[in-house]
Amino acid sequence: MDLNEDDVIQIIRYLDESNFNELRLQLGDLRIVVNRTGSVAPLPEIEDAPETGPQATLPPPQSPPPAIEPSATASPTSETAPLAEETTQRGRRVSITSPMLGTFYRAPAPGEPPFVEVGTVVDEETTVCIIEVMKLFSTIKAERRGRISRVSVEDGQLVEYGQVLFLLESESD
Amino acid sequence: MAAITRVLVANRGEVAVRVIRACRALGIETVLAASAADVSTLPASMADRALCIGPAPSAASYLSVSSIVQAALGSGSDAIHPGYGFLSEQPELAEACLDNGLVFIGPGPGHIRAMGDKLAARQAVAGLGIPVVPGSEMIGDFSDAEAVANEVGYPVLLKAAAGGGGKGMKAVHRPGNLATVYREAAAEAQSAFGDDRLYLEAYIANARHIEVQVLADGHGNRLHLFERDCSVQRRYQKLIEESPAPGLSDEFRNRLCEAALRIVEAIEYENAGTVEFILDQDKGSFYFLEMNTRIQVEHPVTEMTTGLDLVREQIRVAQGERLSFSQAQVVPTGHAIECRINAERPERDFQPSPGTITRWEPPEGPGIRVDSHCYEGYVVPPYYDSLLAKLIVSGDTRMEAIARLQRALSSFHVEGVDTTIRFQASLVERAEFIAAGSPQTNQGVNTGWLERVAIPSIIAREKGLQGGDEK
Repeated sequence: MDLNEDDVIQIIRYLDESNFNELRLQLGDLRIVVNRTGSVAPLPEIEDAPETGPQATLPPPQSPPPAIEPSATASPTSETAPLAEETTQRGRRVSITSPMLGTFYRAPAPGEPPFVEVGTVVDEETTVCIIEVMKLFSTIKAERRGRISRVSVEDGQLVEYGQVLFLLESESD
Repeated sequence: MAAITRVLVANRGEVAVRVIRACRALGIETVLAASAADVSTLPASMADRALCIGPAPSAASYLSVSSIVQAALGSGSDAIHPGYGFLSEQPELAEACLDNGLVFIGPGPGHIRAMGDKLAARQAVAGLGIPVVPGSEMIGDFSDAEAVANEVGYPVLLKAAAGGGGKGMKAVHRPGNLATVYREAAAEAQSAFGDDRLYLEAYIANARHIEVQVLADGHGNRLHLFERDCSVQRRYQKLIEESPAPGLSDEFRNRLCEAALRIVEAIEYENAGTVEFILDQDKGSFYFLEMNTRIQVEHPVTEMTTGLDLVREQIRVAQGERLSFSQAQVVPTGHAIECRINAERPERDFQPSPGTITRWEPPEGPGIRVDSHCYEGYVVPPYYDSLLAKLIVSGDTRMEAIARLQRALSSFHVEGVDTTIRFQASLVERAEFIAAGSPQTNQGVNTGWLERVAIPSIIAREKGLQGGDEK
């Protein structure tokens, strides 16, 4: 599939109009990552970019309907403030998002220690979690270097495609 | 069977809106399974919850059985409504529902399989003594095709065994073209269905497409809701559907409906379905074409004439209830016509026209129904089909319905994307469409009319008018 300039603009517009922080598109060998927060260090409007989660899928033209199970979705937005502060003090904050809808598991098996905790230093190959889709377990890798600054989802919860799972402080720049 | 309390709607666009409305009417909660491109759409805001199941391309979202089932399980839904298209006729989804204790709002996987293989369905129906279009068993290779084509006589139609919906279906008018078209059809069938098996039928040039809506519960009640005429087609895609079929005699109508019911009885079908027939206007005979094991785009036509809510009946039947009416209580009144409004440019070979809708003013008034997911500011994404809305009108008579349709189309204002509204308006003003008449004698509207006569004529006139404006 060929992408032209219009397609890319369209893709950026979709992200802009959504509540997602980041959009990743992979078409064969072509991989596009569009990030709302940009690739440069601390953006002042970071607080305006809320966590994805239930809100991300309910940005309605009319009034937002109540979520059926608020507990089954991502973390509260009240935690965004300290994060923003964190970001201004340290390096670039990036998110690890779910590549699929499924159940999020922090550990390889029940009772075992989690793959990563806040503070864990990860690299591209570090497994950060498992996502289960109908008894198929996929390990999710960090795909970049950094230090985990936040675990955004609780163990065993349903996560959506594109939902933020972890925040990572990049130490590379 | 326990009552359904929460339905995962595994579709998008107007049909997602339609299903959510039916659920609301029954007091059932809804969860919309949306792709990343559809998370801020009207159905997403109408549903009690929306879940992003995958990226925009449907292969990784709307066609992902595992994501959809996981979304249903993870959201505490007890049923899945597949809508039409996407996974609605894939037995894998119906089967995965069974395996995971979910109700599939539709027929069983066995029913979908029985009718999904078009060649097997054709054989099964022929076995019931219902006429099928003269043609072949499966074609093994090209020499088979050649032999059968010579036997049936040209023109012939090559069809995909796994198919339906016009994909892998190609007409061959001369023996010299058979080899080329055979290869094309096989390749198209392979890419659309992952199955390149073909069969061959006589091509009926002066045909009408007439289908019978059926509805069946799990208690042996199997009813028909009369017919729809969907002869106005472009590349096997329907543009206008109406009921009753113009000029059809009651005797002929009864034969069609009876044949449809015989098929439904034979396979012990459950839920909503449509049995499609081809009517040979030269011979005055009909043939079974295929059965669609889902709710169809044009179901509102039948809802307008029968006063029934087909999606609600689908849900009721799926949760084990009996149909709430008998065959004798299905009494259609008046005439209904549906126009599909697509984001397309007719003058550019109906090229899709995605973009932002800057003006959206659908028609309103008595006897007018608009099923749509569009609104001002909505961005029509480039990833999916181009259907923006279905305009359905009813009237006491066909003429009244046509007049209402003409007025409704002229007051349907959409800007920002190109639409087929003006084209449709020209179409329903044409003498052949208005005359329609008896299928046994009518030489005007048939399944080839739109492409052969109407489109060239309307486009030529439009271009002439535009040229005139410039002077």
